[in-house]
Amino acid sequence: MPSQIFHRGPTKPQMNITPLIDVVVLLIIFFMLVNNIISEQSVQMIVPQLDEPITHELDDAGRIIVNIAPADYAHRERADNPLLFDGEARFIRVGLQTFAADDLEGVTAALIDARSAYPDAEVVLRSDGALYYGVVQPVMGAITRAGIDKINLVAYMPERGATTVQIGE
Amino acid sequence: MQPNLSAMIDVIFLLLIYFVVTANFTPDEGVLTAKLPQGTGAPAQDLAPPQRPLNIVLSPAGETECRIAIQGYPQAPAGFTELASLLVQLQYDPELDLKSGAFKPDSPVVIRPEAGVRWQHVANAFNAAVRARYTNINFAQVSQ
Repeated sequence: MPSQIFHRGPTKPQMNITPLIDVVVLLIIFFMLVNNIISEQSVQMIVPQLDEPITHELDDAGRIIVNIAPADYAHRERADNPLLFDGEARFIRVGLQTFAADDLEGVTAALIDARSAYPDAEVVLRSDGALYYGVVQPVMGAITRAGIDKINLVAYMPERGATTVQIGE
Repeated sequence: MQPNLSAMIDVIFLLLIYFVVTANFTPDEGVLTAKLPQGTGAPAQDLAPPQRPLNIVLSPAGETECRIAIQGYPQAPAGFTELASLLVQLQYDPELDLKSGAFKPDSPVVIRPEAGVRWQHVANAFNAAVRARYTNINFAQVSQ
């Protein structure tokens, strides 16, 4: 007659996954927080779409981004013609500071502060393609008054694989 | 002797869904380096006679389009690709066998949009001038 223990067989070893799950959940929380901070800095907009663009990628060096935000929209509304949209600005954001669209003194002051903290930082002007020049130009004037004479305009990159035509060569 | 994988698969699926949801499918953005509008108040103090600038005038047409004109030239380019090739024709650079034009690559180019022109057209005109290898491009104050 076989014993009780032999009848049940040996106990099966099992892997303990609890620490793995702990770590993965921590990772998820970390990426969610970081993602929120990044999207906070860049405002949702459709930047200009150029004919045969010669845009280049941003360097990794320090940069101060000046966003001119358009009115709220859903992506589907503007899918057909991104330019058929309200041309007035909703607000201006310099780095993480937000200003009213007509608070140009605030923009200038924020840029002077940012430049004194990071003198080598480049200024990047990111504006929606549908905004009127009459809205964008005063902001460029505010950047000039902060003692900055060179900016980078944001537009979409050329599509990968598309050939760019070199003119004059 | 089989480890229980279901918990790990659960987590991996969560991760997968998370990254699919947060993935950003918009095209990459790049930059064009530009000079800012000048002449915000102080009177000009030119010692040398100023060079004649090449004025690109943009005026709104309809809701979203714009008309392009080069001041002093009768041809009106229909699009920004045409504007770029016209700007090359107006250039004088013997090294590249461009002798018909009156503007050097470092002649001032001023983009003069009216207030109601969409920013995309302004950026496009700037892009065209840079592609035509002009180096001294400025944006004008708003003209009504």
